[in-house]
Amino acid sequence: MLAAVASATLSGAVGRPVSVEVHVSNGLPGFTIVGLPDAAVREARDRVRAAILSSSLPWPMRRITANLAPSGVRKGGAGLDLPIAIGLLVAAGELSPDCTEGLAFCGELGLNGSLRHVPGMIALADATSPLGMVVPLCDVREAALVRGDDVHGAATLGDLTRILRGQSGWPEVPAQSVVPRAPSAPDLSDVRGQAVGRRALEVAAAGRHHLLMIGPPGSGKTMLAERLAGLLPPLPPADALTVTRIHSAAGCALPDGALLDRPPFRAPHHQASVVSLVGGGSWSLRPGEVSLATHGILFLDELGEFPVAALEALRQPLEEGAIRVSRAGGTVTFPAAFLLVAAMNPCPCGEGVYEGACTCTPASRARYRRRISAPLLDRFDLVVPLSRPDPDELLARTPGEPSAAVAARVAAARARATARVAPGPGSRPELAPDAEALLASKLRSGDLSARGLHKVSRVARTVADLAGEGVVSFAHVSEALSLRAGRAAVVV
Amino acid sequence: MSLPEEAYAVAVAAVPSVGPATLRGLLASDPPSVAWARSRGASGGSVHDVARIWARHTELGISVLLPGRGSWPARLVDDPQAPAVLFCLGDPSALDGAPTVALVGTRAPTRYGIGVAAQLGTDLSGAGVSVVSGLALGIDGAAHEGACGAGASPIGVVAGGLDDPYPRRHARLWERVAENGVIVSESPAGVRTEKWRFPVRNRLLAALSDVVVVVESRHHGGSRHTVDAAVARGIPVGAVPGSIRSATSEGPNALLADGAFPVCSAGDILVALSLEGATVPVPASASTPPRRRRPGPTSGTDLRVYEALTPDPVALDDLARVTGLDVSALCGALERLALAGVALDVGGWWQRV
Repeated sequence: MLAAVASATLSGAVGRPVSVEVHVSNGLPGFTIVGLPDAAVREARDRVRAAILSSSLPWPMRRITANLAPSGVRKGGAGLDLPIAIGLLVAAGELSPDCTEGLAFCGELGLNGSLRHVPGMIALADATSPLGMVVPLCDVREAALVRGDDVHGAATLGDLTRILRGQSGWPEVPAQSVVPRAPSAPDLSDVRGQAVGRRALEVAAAGRHHLLMIGPPGSGKTMLAERLAGLLPPLPPADALTVTRIHSAAGCALPDGALLDRPPFRAPHHQASVVSLVGGGSWSLRPGEVSLATHGILFLDELGEFPVAALEALRQPLEEGAIRVSRAGGTVTFPAAFLLVAAMNPCPCGEGVYEGACTCTPASRARYRRRISAPLLDRFDLVVPLSRPDPDELLARTPGEPSAAVAARVAAARARATARVAPGPGSRPELAPDAEALLASKLRSGDLSARGLHKVSRVARTVADLAGEGVVSFAHVSEALSLRAGRAAVVV
Repeated sequence: MSLPEEAYAVAVAAVPSVGPATLRGLLASDPPSVAWARSRGASGGSVHDVARIWARHTELGISVLLPGRGSWPARLVDDPQAPAVLFCLGDPSALDGAPTVALVGTRAPTRYGIGVAAQLGTDLSGAGVSVVSGLALGIDGAAHEGACGAGASPIGVVAGGLDDPYPRRHARLWERVAENGVIVSESPAGVRTEKWRFPVRNRLLAALSDVVVVVESRHHGGSRHTVDAAVARGIPVGAVPGSIRSATSEGPNALLADGAFPVCSAGDILVALSLEGATVPVPASASTPPRRRRPGPTSGTDLRVYEALTPDPVALDDLARVTGLDVSALCGALERLALAGVALDVGGWWQRV
């Protein structure tokens, strides 16, 4: 007796269709799963048996073989529990083959027969299209984000068999629980002083310029970075779906059935491994922090403390907005179009910004700076030196400008940039004559490289957009130059 | 095969277990060849080894000085802790040629310290005074950069063997000092520069100088060893005053409090050398441009920004707070001032020129 049930498994952030074939025949009683299952799938044997018995369904005391086709693709995760159980029930004659026709099944089984949440439901729903989909009741809303209303849910295996036999109808999806929205990013009004730091955030948000902040401990680098997310406009629906898909595949908790429509803010610790940053893993390729930060912000605090290999691995995603993770089992491409914000001390003791205050040896300073390679440093359009805030400003009761006001300017600047005809590669924005002369003098004196010229022009264009002006003026270029002046503190 | 006495002295000095003090003891009473014969048990070397080591030194152009012989520096004749052997790269007569001033300080100086050290080096050298320093990173290097080719022969005093420029970054400077003057060491070729040798080196550095000047140093910096050695020998110590807020000026400021003479220009040092009549004024070299009033801004935002600037670098944040301007306007004004030549950008901080 043979049965075939459609399902899907997760490979990276993409689902792959899987056909689950179950064969029940005479022979010694036993249950084997073939077709490159990982440990979680192999353990499905015990879960499926317990769930079927708990649901008061008969377990065939015969030889059972489940094959996961295509057999060359590795299958991971517990989402294949449900299709194996359904296939077994069909093969054993408990369910008619017709009732699984046109349906795909995904779900994990509990030993009591309950259906449990599976990560990556959006990608799985994509992969099983255009079949109807049966998922755990708690996952219906997530799958419905891409599938509309041909997604059905069931709470237990017992319920599901009754529904498939036509003894009852699909249950109502429980009303969306009123979850408090994730607390929004902290507000910029908490920041006192820091005129330059605030301005750098605004320019970074408006022009999507990567930002490196260099300052001593206590100069507010982390505080500023955490407030950048609040300055970015909400994600357009297409980007929101990409972000939700990635977060779903990574198994992150999602707001109940809702899209993630705020730009994500990811702040991996500096001991993060290369794999955790860029994604990977030996079997199931999991998206890394760079992908989880896509369309949002990747904040690397203490940049100088990250492993050099991890930092260098950031170069491809910074260049291409995507990351290819290759393993023996295959290659997947994850989106990784993030805004990189980094913070570092000027030297190991942290006091290097103030002349004469640094207690590091020249060798240790040089070693610290070498950790940030020139190609990586080049990716930062804005390199801003920060200093500790003035005590009077720190104690002042007057709050700083709130995030909402800055966000409005950012949105307006972005709108202006979009409305302008997209510049061709290598083209530079229109500059006022004195601004052009300033850049020329910087180029001649060697203060600016050809690449630097391009970057400064782009930042100056953003500054002009923030000011609502069509032509880039002397002041705009001056500001762009000042906002990368911190390079002098890092370039040895 | 007949080898000079110097060869045996080098051979004894090259025994790994023999430090400067032991060497002094060994060579105090006996001529080097006898001392070598007595210490053979420790070194286990043969006459061939002596010849090999000697050949290596001649090949590298390292000359070897022994006390009581022709070119032994006069300043070391009565020194209580004079080295037993002195290795020289360059012209050993430079050690006795002119008045000598040690310019020493921290390896992690500020721009202020680097500037002052280089200026003093140039001016002293131009006035015919040999600059003595340790060829280390920071103040030492800056002093010799200034002194090389400016007139008098520079003198470098190093801790390790003369075949191994240390620090590597100063290999080029090392060559220039050897060409223009002399580099001396107590260590034979092949000895690595180890930490414990620096205080010993600093003692020799002080002994070879007529005046010791500390440019910038932290409270417990290595310059203390040089100063202590100078004080023990009755050599005058000068210090360059610095900001009371700068950690790198803690050392010189404390020395000033202890009675060191203040050094505000090369002239102050020449006075201490009792040379003021002979060689002052210091030639107005190209590195000290004549002071002329630059046309500063006269009105408006630029003037407000210019007035907020100081001769020390100020952070952009502080300028924004003092002037009350927004960042964009402030940056524009600063770049205009920079183009006019009255403001300077130092790594995102700004100072008045």
